[in-house]
Amino acid sequence: MNPDELFRRYQELQQYVGWTEEDGQRVQALAPLFDPHLHALIDDFYVEIQRHPAALQVITGGQPQIERLKGTLRAWLRELLHGPYDRDYVARRWRVGWRHVDIGLDQVYTNVALSRLRQGLLKVHEQSCQGDAREALAARASLNMLLDLDLAIIEDAYQTEYLARQQRSERLATIGQVAAGVAHELRNPLNVVKTSVYYLLNARQPTAAKTAEHLQRIEKHVVLADNVITTLSNFAKMPLPNLQPFSLETCLRAAVEDNPGPGNVQVDFVMPPTLPPALADPDQIAIVFSNLIRNARDAMPNGGQLTLQATAMDSAVLVHVKDTGVGIAPELLHRIMEPLYSTKARGLGLGLAMARAILEKNKGAMSVHSEVGKGSVFTVRLLAAHTKSEE
Amino acid sequence: MAATASSILVVDDDPDICRNIADILTDLGYHVDTATGGRAALELIRRRAYEVALLDLKMPDMDGLTLYREIKSVQAATVAIVVSAYASDAVTDAALAAGVWHVLPKPVDLSRLLGLVSVVVGQPLVLIVDDDAELCKNLWDLLRERGYRVCLAHSEQQATERLQARSFDVAVIDMRLPDGDGSAVFQLVRQYSPEARTVLITGFGIELNPLLERVKAEGADAICYKPFDVPRLLELLQQLTRSGGGTPTSTGSGSPSAQEPA
Repeated sequence: MNPDELFRRYQELQQYVGWTEEDGQRVQALAPLFDPHLHALIDDFYVEIQRHPAALQVITGGQPQIERLKGTLRAWLRELLHGPYDRDYVARRWRVGWRHVDIGLDQVYTNVALSRLRQGLLKVHEQSCQGDAREALAARASLNMLLDLDLAIIEDAYQTEYLARQQRSERLATIGQVAAGVAHELRNPLNVVKTSVYYLLNARQPTAAKTAEHLQRIEKHVVLADNVITTLSNFAKMPLPNLQPFSLETCLRAAVEDNPGPGNVQVDFVMPPTLPPALADPDQIAIVFSNLIRNARDAMPNGGQLTLQATAMDSAVLVHVKDTGVGIAPELLHRIMEPLYSTKARGLGLGLAMARAILEKNKGAMSVHSEVGKGSVFTVRLLAAHTKSEE
Repeated sequence: MAATASSILVVDDDPDICRNIADILTDLGYHVDTATGGRAALELIRRRAYEVALLDLKMPDMDGLTLYREIKSVQAATVAIVVSAYASDAVTDAALAAGVWHVLPKPVDLSRLLGLVSVVVGQPLVLIVDDDAELCKNLWDLLRERGYRVCLAHSEQQATERLQARSFDVAVIDMRLPDGDGSAVFQLVRQYSPEARTVLITGFGIELNPLLERVKAEGADAICYKPFDVPRLLELLQQLTRSGGGTPTSTGSGSPSAQEPA
């Protein structure tokens, strides 16, 4: 945040607590009273810190660093008591919070440390204050307000910086995940290309048929590698859906045809003749069904039954994609829709994440129910297009 | 090419990569079988003694390391080379700890891979016949590290099966087996691997003396008394494989000559 923005924020907080010019003058009037006691307050502060390992561990420079920090604390207290409470004052407070994130000092230590300093200041005030009791109370209130404002700005800085750093590291982790997934998916086709090229260059007795076979294989795997990149970029920029009424049965049957299996899976359609058309982008929903059908087939390597069942419910249509496969362990259920998560040997782990993203944009939803050893049911919910009879 | 081609098992869940590696190795004169999953690979392993297994790590039905452990329990002499797109340090360490010889990243460097294969087929093949599974494990690790291929048999019955399947450069035979006194195994070695050098192991020097004397007279090369001196055994094996019948034979025709990489 730039210093002007910070200062505006500080002024907003001043208004919130009811801080006025007068409060500033009261604190500044106390300053000469406190100045001779600052040394003792600072010493007490660092004696206490040395009793707390979690606070002390951020001080890695030993006694010389403690001496430097004492100087910093002295400057901070002098600024607090003398003002002016301007733009630079706020910027310096902000840097304290920022610095605490940097050195890894938990914000709770700032809170309790400030509480300790506050007690020390109030005690000095109580012992050496002479004069009007009402005026003394008002001065104490002003000092408290000022300390609270300091704490608020330091905490704000701490949180802002902490969050920013967390987001940066999460972003890096995601990039790492994407890179690892893409690396694996690209290395496999590259491995085929590389070995075919090796064969073509080095084989002693290559027949014409073998040569043609390897050239075709190279082409096939270049296409596969390209598909990996296409899938990833499609996921990154999904086009806006073109919502229109369409037949679920036609869409499902096409998806089954596009994703043929080894033949040991029996496919059943359970479609009521009264099923209303769905309202969504049929091309995008086809991707959802294709992903679910492929997953169902992959879950049944030894064969089984794939049931595609549609039902109408209020203004929605539900499609259940049910398999009798291996099932999903309960602890993995919440992860399977995460992008780049996969339980398969091959694949980027984008299928279900993509299905969910598509459904969100198409005003639909998806849920899953699964039992290990029995199978899984993925339920897709889509809007029903209004049929004539309803209008 | 030698009379019987060295055989190599290629396991990868991508059938195209299986075909490619098979084409390359077949062209070089090796016998190659391929499997696209762990279960299929184990079927093959039970039917043939492979010199080398090239294994993928991530496969739908079984991961490559589990597969290798199974292979090792059936055919300890099969040398495994893992080729993986996931060749991180942790994966590599786990594979090497399981007894895998080398881990190569995908896309694979073929001249390195072929070099390694040709080194393996030249490594002396040692048969250890001992019913002490722990001792066998230790000897496997020790000998493997020094570039021997080690086949294990825990009984006379198993030793017979091993000897029928392939010929060995050296046989190390415990004279006391659950189903025999070791001299029968010695005779089997004479019969099936007449070129093989033999080392007898015994923990009972005195009472088995007459038997030892007899086997020694029949041509056993050396006797080791338990608990035996490991460096001496290693030295002995080195001598036996350097001279005479146990000289490792090169596969000749195709294999590019390569030095054992560091």
